[in-house]
Amino acid sequence: MSSEPIERRVSYLGDRLRGRRCHICGKEYFDIRDYCGNCGRKSFGKMVDMDLFYEEGKLEVCTFINNPTNKFTKLGGFIYGIIAFHDGKIKVPGRLTDQIIKDGEEIDFSLFEGRAVVPRFRRRYSVGRSDVIPTISLAFTFSDEYYPYQEHVAVKPDKEYDAPGIVGYGVYTSRFRIRERNMERSVPFIDEDSITAAVEAGKLALIHCGVDSSLVGKVYVGSESNPYAVKPIASKVAQVLRLGEEEDDMQGVDAVDTEFACKAATSMFKDAASLVSYPKSNIEYALVIGADNSQAAPRNCPGGELDLFVGYGGCGYVLGRQDLIAEIEGWYSCTSDTPDFWRRDGEPFPMHGGRFTGDPAYFKHVKKAAIKLMTRLNLQVEDVNYFVTHQPNVSFPVRIAKELGFKEEQYSQSLQVTKFGNTYSGSSPLGLAAVLDIAEPDERILLVSYGSGAGSDAYSLITTSQILDKRKRQKLTVEYQGENPFLEYVDYTTYRRLKLGM
Amino acid sequence: MRGRPAIVAVGRTRFGEHYEKEPEQLIEEAWLKASEEASIERKDLEACYLSDYFLPITNKLGLEEGFLSELTELHVPMEATRSFGSALLNACNAIQAGRYKVVLVGGLEKMTDRWDKIRDDLMLLEDPWSYYAGCTPEANHELMLRAYIKKHGITGKNLEKLNLALAHISVKNHLHATKNEYAQYQRKITVEHVLKAREDARKPLGLYDFAPISDGAAALVLASEEVAKEFADEPVYILGSSSATDYLTFPARENMTGFLVTEIAVKAALKMAGTSLWDIQMAELYDQSTVMEMISLEDLGFCEHGKAWMSIYESCQDYRGYYQIDGRKLFVNMNGGLKADGNPLGATGGAQILEIYKQLKGQAGERQVQSDGELKCGCVLELEGFGTKGYVYVLGRDRE
Repeated sequence: MSSEPIERRVSYLGDRLRGRRCHICGKEYFDIRDYCGNCGRKSFGKMVDMDLFYEEGKLEVCTFINNPTNKFTKLGGFIYGIIAFHDGKIKVPGRLTDQIIKDGEEIDFSLFEGRAVVPRFRRRYSVGRSDVIPTISLAFTFSDEYYPYQEHVAVKPDKEYDAPGIVGYGVYTSRFRIRERNMERSVPFIDEDSITAAVEAGKLALIHCGVDSSLVGKVYVGSESNPYAVKPIASKVAQVLRLGEEEDDMQGVDAVDTEFACKAATSMFKDAASLVSYPKSNIEYALVIGADNSQAAPRNCPGGELDLFVGYGGCGYVLGRQDLIAEIEGWYSCTSDTPDFWRRDGEPFPMHGGRFTGDPAYFKHVKKAAIKLMTRLNLQVEDVNYFVTHQPNVSFPVRIAKELGFKEEQYSQSLQVTKFGNTYSGSSPLGLAAVLDIAEPDERILLVSYGSGAGSDAYSLITTSQILDKRKRQKLTVEYQGENPFLEYVDYTTYRRLKLGM
Repeated sequence: MRGRPAIVAVGRTRFGEHYEKEPEQLIEEAWLKASEEASIERKDLEACYLSDYFLPITNKLGLEEGFLSELTELHVPMEATRSFGSALLNACNAIQAGRYKVVLVGGLEKMTDRWDKIRDDLMLLEDPWSYYAGCTPEANHELMLRAYIKKHGITGKNLEKLNLALAHISVKNHLHATKNEYAQYQRKITVEHVLKAREDARKPLGLYDFAPISDGAAALVLASEEVAKEFADEPVYILGSSSATDYLTFPARENMTGFLVTEIAVKAALKMAGTSLWDIQMAELYDQSTVMEMISLEDLGFCEHGKAWMSIYESCQDYRGYYQIDGRKLFVNMNGGLKADGNPLGATGGAQILEIYKQLKGQAGERQVQSDGELKCGCVLELEGFGTKGYVYVLGRDRE
């Protein structure tokens, strides 16, 4: 008995929960059916597409899986049940994810049943190291906890800007944290990785910007922890988020992964901005995502120092020309061949050059990019409301901010490393999101990223009045995720196990 | 009505782990027992209907029929299906159509050869969508129980009684199996064992609520009514037979507290048998879990929906070998059920039929039931998957 065909079907359907409804009798199917079982032949061509990806379901009944089937053993014990959508018209099997059921803990199913849940995007189960990683949205979390339900509404744009800029953004970090010394760091659940973070961040960005996903013509995913050496994350993002016009199971979108250590995403902001500004590109919006399950060798191993700082998360930015929340005023990038941090092909963890990562690498490039851009734009330190930079630890961004002459009130809002850790490609974008979460219209933000290897991108952004209008669509703000009552703290052993993944 | 298929001989192996035996040795053993009983020779067989779920996986046997042909030197038509119930239905249809007069129906399974992967195989077979969402073979039973409790608003003391009733089902089936020389577990267990296993698992059902994985085989010889008496003085007739099919995906079904296939199949089988449920004195139910036994009593119509646990609970307070339902006796799973007799999927239905056959003929030895009045009629319910297919057979000794 080969399971291959159905497995592939599950993969295609399960990544983004969808189904079809019979236009004649209203019966709904969790399947892409060409006709309705009730209505038969006459329903051909009358099946309406349904999308459950952005919807809220209800956990009808559940049980505890204490002895999973082989592919799920790494999940440990988990809650599994039946989820109903549309008042029970559609019922699907699913597991609750983001739950660590501790040994001996009493489980009361009635506390779970009847509650609203949202589909999440996760790795489906364990596979061998050389296999394709199966993903699924039949993994749910309670919407009254860490990850609230948010409606996705495509809004018709009403204002076009002269310069390109940010239309919307989303930040995703997990609900798990490790707390050590003065830092808290986000820890992925065991079924999360940079692919799932990228999809979640993109989804939240689309919700925030209210853009019809079929108008997104290009997606860039910057990451240095792609579980594949060859196979883009961006193709998964494009397919799951249905970017570009959909035809014949293909998305009319250009999707590409980029890599430049921690600046793989920020580097693409200007490419995206240029693309949407070029009249013949026919691209209205471009999505830039930076996502990492930041890698670090175990402590006390070579490269293990990073293990004190690495986090997990993804940020998605939609760039365009319409309904901007922040216009791009200018940019500057610099690069030098500086091997301060690297990971050889086939190696699981990166190495770094110790003290060499500071002055000749991080500080040199960030300073250069910031000063160059400010000079070009004729900006003084006082003209900048918020300074955002890459945050590999607490001391580096503070020191460079001070060296550049910024005051604490200019850089403190963006400093998020103490709550999330270094999210690598998502690090400076996360700081930018924290600023955009609270910024008022007509404020200037200076973003200077840093990527080892080495280079920096500096951007000057000016917020618009629409930043306030869109704010209500963003429930998962940086502050919400950083100071959430549903955060769960794990010990070092659990942290390593979760981070290593399925 | 003429042409009712008659069972003239039955045979089976013990269920359990048969580490040392090839699968074909198991079916051979069952066939030999049956053939001896009725003095049937291989050459008498005009066709063979076989059943197994997993041989292609567990023992890498692609065409089981060819294996059997080699073993028996028979070149008659042979067909392999999954459940014994399905093989038997095909055999019944062929006999009733007048195509054959004597056929062999045999089921075999060797699950323990693949003990480390069999739960994945089982789950893939019964509900692939759920499997890929993390379901286990046990979970659907537990979800059905949760849905049952919620639907019928069972709380407090009643919930305790329901949970105890389910535990009693397991205890009762183990008790029955102590008198069954072929059963996998011929030992008594207590309610405390069942409850402790649930506590350890931290969920509504535990180890003792579920049937085991097993190896084993069962066989019977089915003959047309015209020739049946040549092989057996007192054949047992298949008065009614029926099957039904439901969605593969359990969550997609409308009813989460019962099996539609059972409801459909039992109605059709009774109608065919020209008998009513009240004439059924004994039932072999498909208790893959204790919940399934309870639910099946309701689906078959013996108990009202939402009430079976009450009859079970009351009957088991002072268990006398049968369930007392609305003032009448119903003997259920006298061989120990799937729980204690064992559940080698392809052979399970054969053991169920064998039990009713032996009881109707008064040959069940220590297990022989003491019915009020003459024992005339029994039924068998076999399911495939998690209620994806259901087979109901009404068996009777006398032909009016």
